Amino acid sequence: MLLIAKAALGVTAAVALTTAYVFHEGVIRVDVDESRSGGSHVHVWVPATAVSAGLRLTPRHHLQEAAAQVRPYLPLLRELSKELQKYPNAEFVDVRDSEDHVLITMREGKLSIDVVSDSEKVHVALPVETIADVADRLEDAAPGI
Amino acid sequence: MNHFSRGLLGFAGSLVLSACAFLPSPILAQTSSKSDQWIHVRVESKEDKGETVRVNVPLELAVKVLPAINHENLQGGKVRIDNAHLEDVDLRALLDAVRTAKDGEYVTVQSNENNVRIAKDNGYLYIHVTENNSAKKESKNAEGKQVPAKSGAAAKESKVEVKIPMKVVDALFSAGKDQLDVLAALRALAANGDTELVNVKDEENTVRIWIDSKNIAD
Repeated sequence: MLLIAKAALGVTAAVALTTAYVFHEGVIRVDVDESRSGGSHVHVWVPATAVSAGLRLTPRHHLQEAAAQVRPYLPLLRELSKELQKYPNAEFVDVRDSEDHVLITMREGKLSIDVVSDSEKVHVALPVETIADVADRLEDAAPGI
Repeated sequence: MNHFSRGLLGFAGSLVLSACAFLPSPILAQTSSKSDQWIHVRVESKEDKGETVRVNVPLELAVKVLPAINHENLQGGKVRIDNAHLEDVDLRALLDAVRTAKDGEYVTVQSNENNVRIAKDNGYLYIHVTENNSAKKESKNAEGKQVPAKSGAAAKESKVEVKIPMKVVDALFSAGKDQLDVLAALRALAANGDTELVNVKDEENTVRIWIDSKNIAD
């Protein structure tokens, strides 16, 4: 009986730690809701760690191809993500009229882009560390192309 | 301490660790210092849909990110100006003349349509333009003569007020010929402190560009 209790505790602790690790970088969230009839509703919540892990598992030649395409923007991405981390809560862009509202903010360390219009609502939130991580991985995959 | 309490202690420890790991890093991170300078752009339009645009950018972020943008005429924080756009005006010589001149009014143009005033005072360059739109609405009669706008028509003015520190102007033109050093200008702006840079007002639109240490537009 004691052995089973120990095993259960071990498993629970392992699950708790794994969950904590998976979510420690935050969650990438994409919500798209189209209000027209038959419009699509997309709700994706992905742990940011999955992106980092995915990049590690992606075959090198695929990463090199991607890096070659985005090479001109990598320094910008890296610098932007590094600087954005200094402003965990800030409002950068707010554009609104009677029909549309676009908001680009940092909320609790996440870059958040919200677009609300009569026809659709789009909310995207991703941790800035993830942007930096992606830029670093792509740079590492194809240095000096 | 028996095995069960030891296990419980281990579990509790794991939970505390997990809770720490769950805490988003920004909460642990320090917030930006109050001395940070932000450049704010605010556009309010009363036309059609009544659009409002608010842009707030930390100057430090702009200074760091700008050199990383290399696109067409913008390279390394400098903008290359085509000769054609200068139309034979030697801007550098013009600015040198303004810089070395004493404080005072350099240009004052007053007409029915526009009032223009360019002045230098206490290290700032001022450009004020007031446009009287009602004057433009004069129409021609059948004989081709100018007829003033109807007396009932409201005089519609648009005002442009630009106030730029001379140090910023100097920095902007500090790059080589046909180049504007935007990066140097941003650095000079950051060193200058809170400033109201541009104010444009007409009956339908308001544009304001200013620098302060608040991270939101008021």
